[in-house]
Amino acid sequence: MKFHATILIELKAGILDPQGRAVEGVLRGLGYRVEAVRVGRVLEMELEATGEPEARETALSIAEALANPVMEVYALEALRPLQEVL
Amino acid sequence: MRVAVIVFPGSNCDRDTQWALERMGLQADLVWHTAGSLEGYSAVFLPGGFSYGDYLRAGALAKFSPVMAEVRRLAERGYPVVGICNGFQILTEAGLLPGALLANTNLHYTCRDVLVRVERSDLPFTQAYRPGQVLRLPMAHGEGRYYTDDETLHRLEQNRQVVFRYVEHHGQGGNPNGSLADIAGIVNERGNVLGMMPHPERAAEEVLGSVDGEGLFQSLKQTLEMVV
Repeated sequence: MKFHATILIELKAGILDPQGRAVEGVLRGLGYRVEAVRVGRVLEMELEATGEPEARETALSIAEALANPVMEVYALEALRPLQEVL
Repeated sequence: MRVAVIVFPGSNCDRDTQWALERMGLQADLVWHTAGSLEGYSAVFLPGGFSYGDYLRAGALAKFSPVMAEVRRLAERGYPVVGICNGFQILTEAGLLPGALLANTNLHYTCRDVLVRVERSDLPFTQAYRPGQVLRLPMAHGEGRYYTDDETLHRLEQNRQVVFRYVEHHGQGGNPNGSLADIAGIVNERGNVLGMMPHPERAAEEVLGSVDGEGLFQSLKQTLEMVV
């Protein structure tokens, strides 16, 4: 069965994120009253698994392999059967 | 004495590094990153560049290259391993050196000369330098801001693992990227795995405008000659 996974990888809280700062500066320039903007990454993928538990385990294993624990945290944002996404 | 210079897809300082090593009379081979063995090599360089286009994060995908298992094996056996710029990023991503290299504080890809002080001249890579010697070396990176947690930083300082530090000298130089504790290069606890952001191979002969980087290659040659 096919699943669709969305993984979010972002810098740990407290680590200076110059990209977020630059975006924040531009947003403020546009008149938005925002603060603490952070920029992360979203990875989307389709994966094959026997069921939801295996798909979750695979997605989390991928997230762990791709994130750098020194400076980043990851989260499995969404996991759905592929047909629900299409 | 053969030295392996690993070539990842996107490496671009491989030939410069090979050249700098060969000027010292060392045999340096370019080794493709899918190599399954580094048998016969006495030292390894991970050169600068943009392995895998820096996709995901600088060095993040290169750490999965087949040759990295061999690099790890040599490192564990005490062979000299040097990562320059992208090579340093790969070594931290692979966990062979502590910490990580983040986007420069000013978000600029910065390409200019920096001044670094040699903090350790008792290493296989630095013995040709004087302790405290200030070197002028080119930097060229967008992700060179060394970062680690307080505990690791404390341990690095206590074990004297900081090898090169950005310094200001006569109003020049200074920390170019926001690196923690002005760190430009570190070594592992055992002292055989070095990572540094500035490029010694780009300052290894007169025609390049500086010979300050030559000492690194000279040191390595001396080390390898002693071993054999």
